[in-house]
Amino acid sequence: MENYIIEMLHITKEFPGIIANNDITLRLKKGEIHALLGENGAGKSTLMSVLFGLYKPEKGEIRKDGKTVKINDPKDANDLGIGMVHQHFKLVENFTVLENIILGVEPNKLGFLERKKAKEKVLALSKQYGLQVDPDALIEKISVGMQQRVEILKMLYRDNDILIFDEPTAVLTPQEIDELMEIMRGFAKEGKSILFITHKLNEIMAVADRCTVLRKGKFIGEVEIKDTNKEELSKMMVGRDVNLTVDKKDNTPGDVVLSLKGVTVPSNTSKKDAVKDVSFDVRAGEIVCIAGIDGNGQTELVFAITGLEKQSKGEITLCGKDISKASVRTRSKSGMSHIPEDRQKHGLVMDYSLEDNLVLQRYWQSEFENKGFIKRNEIRSYAEKLSKQYDIRSGQGPLTIARNMSGGNQQKAILARELDKEHKLVVAVQPTRGLDVGAIEYIHKQLVATRNKGKAVLLVSLELDEVMDVSDRILVMYEGEIVGELDPKKITVQELGLYMSGAKRNVGKENEHA
Amino acid sequence: MDTFYYLIQNTLPIAIPLLLVALGGMFTERSGVINLALEGVMLFGAFFGCLSILFLENSKINPQIVLIISMCIAAVAGIMYSMLLAFAAVNMKADQTITGTALNMLIPAAILLFSKMKFNSDGVTTDMKFYIQKVPGLSKIPVLGELFFQKTYLTVYIGFLLLIIATIIFYMTKFGLRLRACGEHPQAADSLGINVYLMRYFGVGISGFLGGIGGFFYSVGVMNGNVNGHTGVAGFGFLALAVMIFGQWKPLNILFASLFFAFLRTLAYSVALIPSLNSLNINQTYYKMLPYVATMIALIFTSKKSRAPKAEGIPFDKSK
Amino acid sequence: MHNIFSPQKLLKSKAISAFTAALLAIILGLIFGYIIMVVASPENSLDGFNMVLVGGFSRLGDVFYFATPILMTGLAVGFAFKMGLFDIGASGQYTMGMFFALYVGFMWKLPGSLHWVACIIAGMMGGMLWGFIPGFLKAYMNVNEVITSIMTNYIGMYLVDMWIQGNSVMYVPSKTRTSYLPGSAQIPSLGVANSNVNVSIFIAIAIAICLYIVLNKTTFGYELRATGFNKHASHYAGMNSKRNIIITMVIAGGAAGLGGAFAILAPSIIPGSSMTYEPVSVIAANGFNGIAVALLGNASPIGIIFASLFISHIQRGGTLAALFGYKPEIIDVVIAVIIYFSAFAMLMQTTVAKYFKKHRKNKKPESNANEDPVVTLNKEA
Repeated sequence: MENYIIEMLHITKEFPGIIANNDITLRLKKGEIHALLGENGAGKSTLMSVLFGLYKPEKGEIRKDGKTVKINDPKDANDLGIGMVHQHFKLVENFTVLENIILGVEPNKLGFLERKKAKEKVLALSKQYGLQVDPDALIEKISVGMQQRVEILKMLYRDNDILIFDEPTAVLTPQEIDELMEIMRGFAKEGKSILFITHKLNEIMAVADRCTVLRKGKFIGEVEIKDTNKEELSKMMVGRDVNLTVDKKDNTPGDVVLSLKGVTVPSNTSKKDAVKDVSFDVRAGEIVCIAGIDGNGQTELVFAITGLEKQSKGEITLCGKDISKASVRTRSKSGMSHIPEDRQKHGLVMDYSLEDNLVLQRYWQSEFENKGFIKRNEIRSYAEKLSKQYDIRSGQGPLTIARNMSGGNQQKAILARELDKEHKLVVAVQPTRGLDVGAIEYIHKQLVATRNKGKAVLLVSLELDEVMDVSDRILVMYEGEIVGELDPKKITVQELGLYMSGAKRNVGKENEHA
Repeated sequence: MDTFYYLIQNTLPIAIPLLLVALGGMFTERSGVINLALEGVMLFGAFFGCLSILFLENSKINPQIVLIISMCIAAVAGIMYSMLLAFAAVNMKADQTITGTALNMLIPAAILLFSKMKFNSDGVTTDMKFYIQKVPGLSKIPVLGELFFQKTYLTVYIGFLLLIIATIIFYMTKFGLRLRACGEHPQAADSLGINVYLMRYFGVGISGFLGGIGGFFYSVGVMNGNVNGHTGVAGFGFLALAVMIFGQWKPLNILFASLFFAFLRTLAYSVALIPSLNSLNINQTYYKMLPYVATMIALIFTSKKSRAPKAEGIPFDKSK
Repeated sequence: MHNIFSPQKLLKSKAISAFTAALLAIILGLIFGYIIMVVASPENSLDGFNMVLVGGFSRLGDVFYFATPILMTGLAVGFAFKMGLFDIGASGQYTMGMFFALYVGFMWKLPGSLHWVACIIAGMMGGMLWGFIPGFLKAYMNVNEVITSIMTNYIGMYLVDMWIQGNSVMYVPSKTRTSYLPGSAQIPSLGVANSNVNVSIFIAIAIAICLYIVLNKTTFGYELRATGFNKHASHYAGMNSKRNIIITMVIAGGAAGLGGAFAILAPSIIPGSSMTYEPVSVIAANGFNGIAVALLGNASPIGIIFASLFISHIQRGGTLAALFGYKPEIIDVVIAVIIYFSAFAMLMQTTVAKYFKKHRKNKKPESNANEDPVVTLNKEA
């Protein structure tokens, strides 16, 4: 009988219309690093949220050191020594590092905070584990890497020794990822037990002892890492042999469609510029991908290109026409399509029907409007046509409210709308985020098809596989600047990582491209 | 110089209700709930406070003690009324703007109804004299004595005391820290074992406490111990919101903002006594509008860079 | 293909669920009112309550008459609501509209039927001006429209009172009210006995229908509702939000201003007299009643028509209940309670619906289970 410190036995957790965890069993040994593997939507986060007390399972039990326990809220979890670093940090932005760490377990005398005492403990922990932080800095002003260290210190401050990491590497450079893995190994050596959620096979092979695989809410298997390899894990994760490459023939780019010269965009949250003096071109018939860690200016760059925000310096031209000061509507009319980063915030009016969303960029055109009045019949048949063409599935056809459609179909609707309208350039930002493999394949196919038709595609992506497979040319962004122009066929992921972390650059102030 | 003393002496009793109600609003909004019901809460507290005065009028108790007792009653009334907002906003996740408006509309109607039924009038009128001509001893201090310890009300001192207590609680206790977390990032607070619902109830309750007292102090300092269903609190509840925004949800700034507005209002009603202004012969109505116009102008300047609590107005839902 | 008229769809339709939600709020408000009546005067409570419920039917003319101003302010609040704006300044716009109407009524000499039409148009413009101010401040300076509207309520009230009191033609100081308007300025009556009901009710309903068409059948309405639902997406789609905010507030202000004009220009049964206004620094109650109407009508122009009639109906009933010794202010309390409950009526109604669902047998598994489990899960991450 193995010595398990945590056992989650036959856990079932349901949400309206969906069984997120279906009879899942997970066993964590003391002092091991245990990976929880699965695609987006497999149920990993839900399972860990159950362990952490954020959700209550419908069925199943949890045991610690062999004894059944009830975890009704994060406080119970914390009392059992369980701590969690969430994928989206749960930090109060206008509090200091110190305040965030002690929130909930504040050292106090009759209610009055004892800040000095807390600071001493934090600095001691920081030194012991090599997690460098500035206790008095405001969260909104520190780097993502330090923010993650704050999250880790939150757990250590509470003497947690069962540590859950939810997709911790999504926001880190390859070098920071290595550092994190060292830290995790250090914890394991000390006897702390680690659960580590991910969908990245390299990381599991590098640092985990054992791995539990989930797929679509069900338990698939539990393996020893030393007895397996990436291909096996991948097959368990996806359920079939996955062809990770995109079918793409070479293409000769044509004229310049989009041109940026010296574009600088101020930041909303700090005094530094989010985008600094960026210049590049995108030609017809090519897919240019902006790669980089989230938060290095890609979002602001796209907003400036599409007109959602104003740049402070620089010129943007579309097919030779200067659109630097043009409104969003004008840019759209001039041939720019935009598949936005946040489909629910920007891409769709969630409370509108599918058909109303499909004409979001064109409702004012004579095809759909007559003297100020909406031409309902024309919109209806247009929606039916696009739904068929792009395989958009919805419960009530064109009348379905967008909110009731699945993520994949919502994205397909946006894609259909943006690709069907007249365009010369498509700006696609993380178009496959949160989608299953089937949808991802479909969207990649559409992007390549549009490029083959001679359109220009500017892709912004955080998924290294997507960057390497789909693009013809890669531009790496780091801290608001373009630091590298790379050919995906000639470099490795490791090299790409070096550019993304600012350790290397081949486009600098010394050799600017025209 | 006499005019100056006069203006300050009259500004303070008006600034205090604004200050207290704005502080109450700050606690609520910093916990994540928009409190538009301040006007109603003030009136509710004022009403019960004045009823209490009416009740104790003919006993031989010292007026200042009556004031303190009635203040406590007003505070309790305020807390109870604010629970209606708390319930709607926290448990029922209702639209906080609409609920606040409903609560504001309810009270004048209720007061008019009650007063017409019981007193055959539009409100409650009392006869007690709370005015303090001179505080023994302290009023003799040069300059400060005249400014702060003559021709004033007890409400001013209690008000400042409450401000100090509120500021300490807000910044230096673990309660204050947790409350502020709930208004910025309730999911974070929740994940750390803090009960966001309870915190928001506290936040609303505190505004009930301070709002009720503020309303009562308005009655005492501005309406001479009376309450009227038609004029209510003359929009002070909303002015307090503007003060709160102008003060960027921080206690010390709120103090200055409330002094600023109260000063303008005092000026409006004191024109006749200031020869230099009186001679300008401007219709008094323009002066009466001054605080409201000033509010709008102040908001114009602060709204560009306003930094409201991030999660305010968004009902907290654990499953999100 | 999709049978839009299937019973399930109808039951689930938004209009029906909004109606039941409103009904629930109304029932709760009325119960509250009944309790007050019982407390005030138990022996008359049944009679009094009955009067509240059906009294309006014996005064139908008046029901329509008093419904007209709040129909307009209801439209004002409701229309702005569709765009995500809270027009709490309806009172100020109403008062300003009333003043402009009075001004044209007294100071301009125009022939018969032109005069009252001009007064009405003036009223609309007064309201539009007063709606423009918070709209502009919100659009260009991002100032919260709730507070600016409240400020303009007070500023408007003070200004109008001051202007009236300063105008010797308009004002009768000895009686602290405005003078009687000339007959040409008054809206033609419908001749219903004992009632001031007049042509304006038809104009009001026509405006409601127009606004309904604008909201649902025009591209402007499309933009408006889209912005109300999701202002980020509307920005992404290139909609000019600044312009739309201002236009919306101007329209809302115009509607409220018309409400004030209709109220003051109503004919009087007593020949030679007219409606009057007392400038006593009180904010127009009809502005706030408009909020109740808008909420009950679920911010839809058609719903608002019915909501205004209902509110007017119970107000008439309340006045008649005075016969039994009850103060009409009870109805104001009832209305406030109705608004309070309507704020979470939708939620209450879903809770009630869930309760009934649990006690039924069918529990159909939703078809979402096989498609993209990602949707719900991503939201929690």
